[in-house]
Amino acid sequence: MNPIYLLYALYAFLILLGLGLILGVLLVWAEKVFHVKEDNRIADVEKMLPNFNCGACGHAGCHAMAEAIVKGEQKKLSACKPGKKDKNFDPIIAYMEEHPDEDGTKHIPTL
Amino acid sequence: MTPYIYSFLLAIVSSMLVDNVVLSRFYGICSFIGVSNKIKSAFSMGVAVMFVTVFAALICWPIYNYILGPLNIPFMDTLTYILVIASLVQVVGLFIKKYSAPLYKSFGIYLPLITTNCAVLGVVQSNTDTALGFGLSMANAIGTSLGFILAIVVFACIRERLEQYNGNKPFKGVPLALVVAALMAMAFMGLGGIGA
Repeated sequence: MNPIYLLYALYAFLILLGLGLILGVLLVWAEKVFHVKEDNRIADVEKMLPNFNCGACGHAGCHAMAEAIVKGEQKKLSACKPGKKDKNFDPIIAYMEEHPDEDGTKHIPTL
Repeated sequence: MTPYIYSFLLAIVSSMLVDNVVLSRFYGICSFIGVSNKIKSAFSMGVAVMFVTVFAALICWPIYNYILGPLNIPFMDTLTYILVIASLVQVVGLFIKKYSAPLYKSFGIYLPLITTNCAVLGVVQSNTDTALGFGLSMANAIGTSLGFILAIVVFACIRERLEQYNGNKPFKGVPLALVVAALMAMAFMGLGGIGA
């Protein structure tokens, strides 16, 4: 094999490394600049979902599902197909019992 | 009008109408069908795709011609383009989420899917493959994305009217939309002879 190909492979490696670094920094910067304040409960509920992002519930992913649960738009937790009752749904119901909206309204989902 | 501006405008018109990205090259069908329920979100999708396409072409042209070309590793082109496009889409997504939450919601899963929208990669890749200069590359990017906006907005207009149609049940929704898309593609074939 011509050793020049090793050099090309090295170039390819370095270019992807450099590009990845630059774009990574750009994304971190964009995340900071365009940061949106979100309800803390959304992140907590999202952690309790299976996080497969399968979309079987009809939302665009687990984050969208968690948002709908917190806002009370999604009442039935069993729409989440990979979720288990004791592992995912029960903790979410308990969590939503403990954390009502600021004005005190509770959006408690059902199974 | 200098010849260069003339060929610039000609490239925009030809990639917008004659070689329409959706209707004669069949790129970007996914978001074309997916986000064309309402005219407003269709137009916003078109603008988002235009932003990503133009910036991707703007960034990828120098990367290919000043880095990949001189280093003699042109085989890396697709990989680097995908990296650039994916990051751009993330930035656009964050931007839209900050300034227009309802729009972000109406895009849903299709916004991250601009990453895999072949229209964007197709433009950048064809700029490379046909060895266009910088100006004509930009003309190609602008024209193609204008063509995408045109196609998706016209399609959304037709689909909004079709919502009121109560006909064959199996045809309602996407099946009828696909038939409409086929008819539109045939109509756009009529523009094919303009260049010749």
